[in-house]
Order: sequence, then structure tokens, then C-alpha cells
Amino acid sequence: MVRFKHRYLLCELVSDDPRCRLSLDDRVLSSLVRDTIARVHGTFGAAACSIGFAVRYLNAYTGIVLLRCRKEFYQLVWSALPFITYLENKGHRYPCFFNTLHVGGTIRTCQKFLIQYNRRQLLILLQNCTDEGEREAIQKSVTRSCLLEEEEESGEEAAEAIE
Amino acid sequence: MTLSILSTASTFAQARAAEISAMLKAVTQKSSNSLVFQTLPRHMRRRAMSHNVKRLPRRLQEIAQKEAEKAVHQKKEHSKNKCHKARRCHVNRTLEFNRRQKKNIWLETHIWHAKRFHMVRKWGYCLGERPTVKSHRACYRAMTNQCLLQDLSYYCCLELKGKEEEILKALSGMCSIDTGLTFAAVHCLSGKRQGSLVLYRVNKYPREMLGPVTFIWKSQRTPGDTSESRQLWIWLHPTLKQDILEEIKAACQCVEPVKSTVCIADPLLTQSQEKSQTELPDEKIGKKRKRKDDGENAKPIKKIIGDGTRDPCLPYAWISPTTGIVISDLTMEMNRFRLIGPLSHSILTEAIKAASVHTVGEDTEETPHRWWIETCKNPDSVSLHCRQEAIFELLGGITSPAEIPAGTILGLTVGDPRINLPQKKSKALPNPEKCQDNEKVRQLLLEGVPVECTHSFIWNQDICKSVTENKISDQDLNRMRSELLVPGSQLILGPHESKIPILLIQQPGKVTGEDRLGWGSGWDVLLPKGWGMAFWIPFIYRGARVGGLKESAVHSQYKRSPNVPGDFPDCPAGMLFAEEQAKNLLEKYKRRPPAKRPNYVKLGTLAPFCCPWEQLTQDWESRAQAHEEPSVASSPDGKESELRRSEAPCAPMPKKPHQSSDEVGTAIEHPREAEEVMDAGCQESPGPESITDQEARENHVAATGSQLCVLRSRKLLKQLSAWCGPSSEDTRRARRAPGRGQQGLTREACLSILGHFPRALVWVSLSLLSKGSPEPHTMICVPAKEDFLQLHEDWHYCGPQESKHSDPFRSKILEQKEKKKREKRQKAGPASSDGPVWEEPVAGQEALTLGLWSGPLPRVTMHCSRTLLGFVTQGDFSMAVGCGEALGFVSLTGLLDMLSSQPAAQRGLVLLRPPASLQYGFARIAIEV
Repeated sequence: MVRFKHRYLLCELVSDDPRCRLSLDDRVLSSLVRDTIARVHGTFGAAACSIGFAVRYLNAYTGIVLLRCRKEFYQLVWSALPFITYLENKGHRYPCFFNTLHVGGTIRTCQKFLIQYNRRQLLILLQNCTDEGEREAIQKSVTRSCLLEEEEESGEEAAEAIE
Repeated sequence: MTLSILSTASTFAQARAAEISAMLKAVTQKSSNSLVFQTLPRHMRRRAMSHNVKRLPRRLQEIAQKEAEKAVHQKKEHSKNKCHKARRCHVNRTLEFNRRQKKNIWLETHIWHAKRFHMVRKWGYCLGERPTVKSHRACYRAMTNQCLLQDLSYYCCLELKGKEEEILKALSGMCSIDTGLTFAAVHCLSGKRQGSLVLYRVNKYPREMLGPVTFIWKSQRTPGDTSESRQLWIWLHPTLKQDILEEIKAACQCVEPVKSTVCIADPLLTQSQEKSQTELPDEKIGKKRKRKDDGENAKPIKKIIGDGTRDPCLPYAWISPTTGIVISDLTMEMNRFRLIGPLSHSILTEAIKAASVHTVGEDTEETPHRWWIETCKNPDSVSLHCRQEAIFELLGGITSPAEIPAGTILGLTVGDPRINLPQKKSKALPNPEKCQDNEKVRQLLLEGVPVECTHSFIWNQDICKSVTENKISDQDLNRMRSELLVPGSQLILGPHESKIPILLIQQPGKVTGEDRLGWGSGWDVLLPKGWGMAFWIPFIYRGARVGGLKESAVHSQYKRSPNVPGDFPDCPAGMLFAEEQAKNLLEKYKRRPPAKRPNYVKLGTLAPFCCPWEQLTQDWESRAQAHEEPSVASSPDGKESELRRSEAPCAPMPKKPHQSSDEVGTAIEHPREAEEVMDAGCQESPGPESITDQEARENHVAATGSQLCVLRSRKLLKQLSAWCGPSSEDTRRARRAPGRGQQGLTREACLSILGHFPRALVWVSLSLLSKGSPEPHTMICVPAKEDFLQLHEDWHYCGPQESKHSDPFRSKILEQKEKKKREKRQKAGPASSDGPVWEEPVAGQEALTLGLWSGPLPRVTMHCSRTLLGFVTQGDFSMAVGCGEALGFVSLTGLLDMLSSQPAAQRGLVLLRPPASLQYGFARIAIEV
């Protein structure tokens, strides 16, 4: 197929302040990334990355972000991400940083990775948890996700086969 | 660990779980619109996957199953209990064909046509529109040099039976001597010729036209005996049938339906079909496919012959209690094939052989053809048959059907044409040896076929029925052929051979105008029903090319005759046709994107898809009235103004209704006299003219809401056609004009015509002076003075250009679009008020289409820089003439106005402008009589 090939960067926003995550917004995020690229790589880098750059997915609760850019210049974006140190929104400044989890060629692979990653995170949380009530709540969500997985297992496998 | 962190941990876990489920959903959904098996990698694909779900990996089978159930991928549903082989089996196929014929009537040649033609459903029939092969030019060549064959069996036939006087009296109100010969014309009444005329509603001439028909009278056995019951066949186009049938029924006072033999035969047929239809499925279910013996099965299924859509309960014949006239509808009871072109003689004489006379010496065992044996016992009829045969043989020596008197009828009884079918398709060529018999040929050409020879048994319903029923099937015939001792030798059936009564009718080709007279003439062959294919194939094996509806349109266009029903705007069928055509064209226009279609508003075309005749004639009438008053005073030409003044006292003519009605009565009773009156009308104007004038005036007075009508009075048309040409240059016409006693083109004459036909249209033919080919709905306009000047300076001047018009609707449409968009946006926000918002844009959409004039049309004549005169209804490049030719109607008022204002040398020049162009082109107008 003839198409523009993209790279998708699956990142996680890490911040101490939970309000930082909630104030996340695709316009704010894209301007933030653009500014950072311009700062780090100059005008050429900004121009090269601005083609096809987009925020494809954003989850304010978990802080997961999916960025899209052209395959040719994804390294410029990638290398610029560590230089983001704070998020500015509505006059507030939240110190934070981006943790790149995965770089994929399609949204679908990123989604699959995210499923795996989240599952792993939940299990780690379950292991480290000491409180009883807390433990129960986490157990519940883990089983829910697992049940869902059971249901969709055939479908998922199909999707894997599709890829 | 603090409490806040604990709480975040649980929410954190919940958020993760929610994300997992969302991601799972997204991943499992199929995003592309390809099929499931198409998403598999190539090495995992298998050939049968597309139709067999089990070929897929098991995990994909469920999705694939869902996909296969969608309607798009469903295969066409065949009848479930029959396999392909069973469907192809003869019995089932006949059943299926019979079922499919229930809605639309199939001609007998339907299957043949369906394999080779683009079929259309029209007028309740399935008809071949045009051949699938590229054959426009080939068909034209066949018409001019060879032979074109058409199946016109869809034409309807009405039969009138009764006393001659009664029929003539009843029908006299429906036609007028003005338009030509009536039912009472001498040649037609004797049964010698076919006549053609235009029917009107009773006593409504010249308005309320019903349509053109052709008619033939059955010849009298004993000439001069008026008490004998006569038969009259009226042939007409299926679109006109309903109106004309009703009108004739009313005119003859035929109200009581008659159960005729035709009606009884049908229910039996359908009953047996239904029975067998109900029986068959039972037999099939659950059993092996082996069919039972035919002996057990009560009756073999009959093919539908004739009209399959007929309701057996409805009457098809009506009788009048007072006059005894019986009207019956013989639609589809006969086949009518038309052969056009000079080779039709040789094809006819080669394909058809006259029946052999049954001699007494032969074995008189039971044959189904009793009627022929009976006939052969009578020496008179045998000699008649021989004479018919001799005349038919003579036809082979005549080079073109045009040489024979127009409308000649020849009856004949012929043998089965399938028997001497050639092995291969060949081309029949005229046989020069047959031309030897010059004396007889000359006599035939001069006198036509004698009256006695027009007799045919096809007029007799019983014989036709027996002929249809006793036809040897193709299968039997082929079996007999295969059993011949010497393969390929002539099959001799002897007395078992079918004898088919047929009727040959000569069709005059181009009878109007001066050039190419007799072009497109040919023969019509009438056959009893059931015999269509038996004659069709032999004709084709002799080299006839078959044409469809398009070819018949081309034929009538090159003949410059109006095409039924499109070129009869004043009859109900014509109006219906125009409406339908406009609807289709509009639909087609709307299918294109707005940027890719002509903006007719900017082009100044008010009605690109239909011709607003009513408005055109109204406009011209009001123009003429408005023109009259000021022009009398300020006329540049002294003479003309004098004439105009003089016409004023002339206009109110003395009325003598009594005398006129007397005249009509005598004319119809004595057809010879009627013709004389007609001739007199052509030679010297004053006497009969006043009569017709009065009649017309009375009619005009009677019909207060004076409707549209088409001028068909031959006398007036002749006069107009003489005026149309450039009078001073054409010496021949100039010489002839005074001899005929033609009136000059004067103001007085014009006004007298206009008084009678204030809103009339005239059928004109136009030939382009320069390049280009006109299309339908092209506008015919009056050239201005400067156009003539420029044409005079430069003979190659191709015509003026219309300036671009502004489009007042464009802004409105844009506004509407904006509004719609805004509404949509509003609707997307709060989804509260669904009802009213939904309805509004639909109503708005109907009102305006970009590029079309909406709302009532303004004055059509004055909309463009050149005054509109009329519209073209048929137009194309004419291969017969070699330039673009068009046929159409112009307003009579406008035509006279234009002719009287043009200089004599350039009289009859008009401008043509296609609806999608700004360029005018010069054309010469001609009226052909």
C-alpha cells in the first residue's frame, strides 16, 4: 500500500501532582511538544516534526498519551521529549516529565502494548499492596480486566492474526 | 503510606482497568472494510475461503459467518428446489417464461431480441431498444441499400365490424378532410390501399388530437353491395390506444361487452397453467429428480402466445345495440414485421413461398388444415390464389418498394417458411431474370394490386386460430428433418404442411418534401399469432438486419416525419411522453456534480428539458395583439399599412353554419366527391377555403379556452411551405406558384390564418447551413437584421452569440446552503428539536437546483437576445443528407411574423441554439407537405 508511514510514541506523563494529569489537554500537549522541539532542534526540527504531528490518544486519568509523527523525523520528537520538565496550563505550572513506553508503527500495536503494560502495572500494584481494603479493590479491577480478556480472547487472537 | 496515596492507588487501578477494556475493544474491532479472509497473511489463505467459512482458521469463523450473512455478499436467490439443470429443462423454462410475461407483454421474438438487444420496458411491453453491437451506420445502410427488419407486433389493432355506412358515419366526426384523406377515401374503402390519418375527438377538430393511425378495410367480395358487413382494422401505437379506443367506443355507441372467442380461449390456457404450476412443486419435493412420464402429467404446459397480461375477465370486444358495430381489440393477435429498404422484395420472395394448391388426387386423410382443403375445392379461390402468387412473384423483379403505389395491400397464403430455410445465413440479391416480364411489371406499377388480390384469410378469426393451433413445433419439424433418408434434402410434408394466411402492406417511405422521395419505403407483413419466429428467422437468414426502437426513431427522423408519441405535443400521449422525458433528463442532470453541469440560467435556456409549447404560443399571441395597434400607425412600408387597414373590415366574415355542415355530410357519403373537393381546394382557393375557414372559426369560438393545436390542414401547410422558401431565387417554385393560384405572402392572408389558429404550432424541418448537429430541445430563434447583414458580407459567418445571463438563483442557493449548515450545527449541539428541523431542508432542496430556472418561467420569447420561435424535438447529424438536420415545431404566429418581416431573398432562415451553448447557428426552415 502506498501511504505515509508514521511512528507512534506511547508516553506516560509522570508527575507528583494528580492535578497535573487532569489538566492535560491535547491542545496544551501539542503546543508543549512543539515548543520543546523548537527549543531543542531549532526551526528546522520544528518544521520537520510539525508535518503529520498529532496527539492521537490522551487519557487524563492514567496520563497515557499517544503522539503521532512522520517516520522520517520521529527521533527528533523522541529526543525532545525528555526536555519537557513542566506543564503549564491556565496559569499553573506543574513539574512533570514524559516517560516513553513504546514506539510503534501502527496505533494497533501501541494499543496492544498498552494492554500488556497496564496488566503488568496492576499486578505489580497488587503485589506491593499491604492494605486489605486496598488489596480487595485492586483485586476487583484485575479480575474485571481479566474477565474482559477472557471474553475477548478469541477476538484478540483474531486481531493478532490480522496483524 | 498516607491515606491520600491509598485512595489514589485504588483509583489508579480502576483507571488502568478501564483503559485495558477500552483498548481491548479498540483492538478487537475490525477497522478496515475488507473481508476477514483478506486480512489473513497470504500463506494462510485458501482458495475456498470466500464461500466456505470452514476453510478459515477456527477463531475467525464466527466473524466470517457474520460477514457472510450480510446482504451485500449474498448470492442471487435462485429457485430453491431446482438445480440448474432442472431450471434449464424445457417445461420449467416455459413456466418461468410464462411467469415473467405476466407483467409486461413479450413479443414472440422476445427471446431472440433479449439475446441481442438492450431491452427496455415501455408501454407495457418488453421491447428491444437498440442492438448491443455497434450498428448505427450499418442500420442506416440497411435502410437505404439493403433491408432493415423490425418487429412492430406491439402496435395495437382495433377491429370495427359492421355496415359500411354506419362505421363511416360514426367515424366521420373523428377525422377531417382538412388533414388529408379520411376513412372514406375511395382507394382505401375498396380495400386496395392502406390509409393513414390523424384522429381527433369527435367534432373537436383542430383541437384535442388523439393520434395518428393507419387503417385498412377488408376488400368486398362483391363490390358495390353496401349491405354487406365490412371489417376495418385500425393500427395504432400502444400509447394512443386507450384514448382512441374510448373515443371510438363512444362514437360508435358501443357499450355492451361481448364475450368473443378470443376471451374464452385465454382463461382455459391460464387455468391449465396454474394447475400445472401448482402440481409441479409437489412432485419435486423430497423425490428424486427423475420426471414422471408425460403421459401421467395431464397436459403439457403451453407457451403463452399473444398477450400474456390480459385479464380474462375484462371484455375485449364491444357491440353497439343501435348500429350493430362490433369493436374488438386485436392487440397481439397478429404479428407485424416491417421490412425497410430496397432488398425487402428479394427477401420476401425468397423467404416466403406461396402455398401449394391442394389437389383432389392427394390422399384426403385427416389433416389439421381443413380450411385450405375446403378453399381448394372452390375453383374461384384457387384461381385467385394463383393470381396472388403471380403478383407476388412479380415483386421480386421490382428494384424498390417505392415504385409501387403507396399503401398497396396484397393478401397471400403461404407455406411453412421454415421448410426451405437455407443451411447458412446468406444475402438475398435481386434476381435480374425476374425483371424480364416487363409488361406485367409495368402494369403492376401503374395500377397497383387489383382489388380482388387483397383478399386474405387473415381477416377470418377462426382460420387464424386454427393456423395458430396447428403449427408444427420446431422440435417436430427438426425431428422429421433428421429422419430424412438423404440428410439435408428438402423436407416434403405434403398436405400436412401448414398454410399461413398473410397480408403484405406497402409502407410509403418519405412522401413529403422534394428530395429523397420514397426513401425508407418497405413492406409490412401481417402474420397470425404464433408464427412470429417461424418467419423471423427465415427473413434474417436472407440477410435482413434487425433494428430496434432507436432505429425506428432514426427512420422517422430521416423521413422527416413526426415520431410517435414524442412529436405529437397536442395529444395526451405526447404530453405524457414529454413529462416523462423531462423527468428523466432532470434526474440525469442532477446526477452530475454542480460544477460539471451547464448552468442553464446563465446560458439563457429557460426550459432545457421540456418544451413549453403552451407558453410559447400564448406569448406569441399576446405579442401579435400588442404589435397590431401601434404598427398600423407607424409602419415604414406604405403598402403594408394599406393592406392592414383593408383587412379590418374583412375580418368578421358572414357565418353560414348550415351550408358547411351540409358539405361535410355529402363529402363523407360520396368519397369520390370528397376527393374532388379536396383537389379543388388545392387548385382554387376561394370556394372551399371559406367553408373550412368558417368551420375553424366556429371551432375556435366554441373552444373558448383555445388550447394548443398543431396545424395539420394540408391547404394551409402547402401555402406556408410555399412562403417559406426564398421565393425569388427558386425559379421552379416561382413558376409553379402562380399556376397553383397560391396567394402571395400578404398581411391579409396571414391575419386570416391567424384568426383561425391563434395558438397553433407548425411541424418544420430545418437543415443547418454550416457545421454542427442540433440536439433535441434546441431553440429555434428569429434572426435579427444585423445577423443577415453579417451573413450577407461573409457567407461563412457562423452566427451570433448570446451574451451571458446572470444567475439570480445562485445567491439564493448559497444562502440556503449556509442556512442548512447552520441548522445542522445547531442540531448537532442540542439534540432537542428534531422534527421541524428535519423537514425544512427537504422542502428547500426541492425548490432550487443550481443551474435551472426555478419558479414560473418569464416570457419565453423575449428572454434571449433573439426572439424564440420554437423548439427542436428530433435532431441529429443526418447521414441521408450529410449535414445536421432537425425537426421541430414553431409557433404559427411567430413564423408568419418572421416570414413577413424578412426580405424575400433570405426568407426562411432561422437561428438554432442548443440548450447548452451560447452560439447561434443559421438553418433553413422548410415545411414539407
